[in-house]
Amino acid sequence: MTVSPNTALPWHERIRVWDHVLASVRARMRELDFREVSTPVRVTAPAVEPFIAPIACAPGWLATSPELAMKRLLCRHRGSMFQIAHCFRHAEVGSLHAEEFHLLEWYRVDDTLETVVHDVEVVVDVVFDVVTRVLELPRPRVAWRTASFLSLLADTTGVQLRGDEGAHELVLVARHVFGDELERAASSDADAELGALRAWTALFSLWSDRVLGPRFAAEPWAGTHIVAFPAVLCALAQTGRAGDQRIACRFESHIGAVELANGYKELGDEEEQRRRFALANRLRSSLGEEPLPIDEAFLSDLRQLGLPSCSGVALGLDRVVMLACARDRLEHVSPFLGTT
Amino acid sequence: MDVSDLRKNAKVKLDGHPYTVVEFQFVKPGKGQGLYKCKLKNMITGSVIDRTWRSGEKLEAADVESRKMQFLYAGADGYTFMDSATYEQVELASELVGDDKHFLLDQLEIEVLFYNGRPVGLSLPSHVVMEITETEQGVKGDTATNATKSATVQTGYSLQVPLFIKQGERVKIDTRTGQYVERVNQ
Repeated sequence: MTVSPNTALPWHERIRVWDHVLASVRARMRELDFREVSTPVRVTAPAVEPFIAPIACAPGWLATSPELAMKRLLCRHRGSMFQIAHCFRHAEVGSLHAEEFHLLEWYRVDDTLETVVHDVEVVVDVVFDVVTRVLELPRPRVAWRTASFLSLLADTTGVQLRGDEGAHELVLVARHVFGDELERAASSDADAELGALRAWTALFSLWSDRVLGPRFAAEPWAGTHIVAFPAVLCALAQTGRAGDQRIACRFESHIGAVELANGYKELGDEEEQRRRFALANRLRSSLGEEPLPIDEAFLSDLRQLGLPSCSGVALGLDRVVMLACARDRLEHVSPFLGTT
Repeated sequence: MDVSDLRKNAKVKLDGHPYTVVEFQFVKPGKGQGLYKCKLKNMITGSVIDRTWRSGEKLEAADVESRKMQFLYAGADGYTFMDSATYEQVELASELVGDDKHFLLDQLEIEVLFYNGRPVGLSLPSHVVMEITETEQGVKGDTATNATKSATVQTGYSLQVPLFIKQGERVKIDTRTGQYVERVNQ
């Protein structure tokens, strides 16, 4: 039997695949003692992200992820939970992007980030098992490995970094690999904190695009968890220590060159969280993007109710289904793309 | 126009020349700024270039006029179309038609694009219905739902179709991807 990665799955098969995927993922998450929750599609304040554009839906926006809403529930229920959420991101359209997609997002209360990393493998197994059974396809085996951000950077580029370099030093050390583009992205910020964030973000982007992506693509069934991000790339994760390095307790999971999941040991400190939203808005402004409103209800819950100690992750479910179906475009497997 | 309006077949003006986007890839490496990686075809010379834009960048749309026309015939080095209202005929050079030739059925209604009054390209309907002129018999009893086989249509274009498709049947093809969509019942 031949399957071309470049063909759309027929509709009757998509319906069958998604019926089984949704049921199997839900069943497995319940077995693991997660409660399924449902949070609003329309929100009054989306998470402030430098590079995600929310879609306006008066008087608010469509959710770009269920993260803040689920954390508000965690402040109340204080037990592990999951959701299969429809999320919306403006102008993200391509073979691995769609403006509307499913995030499978889950939080483990009183558990470690390592357990959540393992959960990602469990979910991939569930989806691969059920999809390949339904479609009678060969079941690919994913060989997983874990690598820290800085060691992977050193192994693939020779650039050795501590993780706490400011913009100027980062450009000096890494310019010979990433060239003027790194310098351009990092330059012209009086504000040292913003400058460092811009420089590290540019480095991660250039490294992913030029080096990591092609290298990952060469081994399509190798799974990689990138862990221990430099502290400056903390997003909504807690920071901690690994030896003498300050790191962000954050990971990203990939299969081949397809990025699947992004997880954090969740930050519960209200003041630090407010500072990070403000920094993300400064980065947005420096790129000519509108700043976004801060979710005060979320911050108030962190302050008054407190976020339980938890680790969580968001996984692009459509991408996992795409890989399981041996396809290379989301629109070939999505349960709704291509109907309009 | 904003780079987020870029799509396959979008028309943009670069260095004074009209280009059409022939390949389009959106990526967000390392969750950073989105990149729009494009292959663009010069609508006059047919030459192809690579260009990458970052989200937030602006570009100029090419002012291209389009007119509804009918495909008449293929000549030695071009394809001739006719405006069915005025009977005016225009010829497009083969390199400007490119792979779109696979879908040019006699009398197909298409849009011919004009830049500064010159025909520089065409725009196909998103789907065409074509007849299978040649394909192997499907293996009887093979119900494997993902299996495909090669088939050829009137224009000589060949594509993958499901096993149940027979010679003489008509199928709907997506002209943007060149792929089989569904069987069309007569």
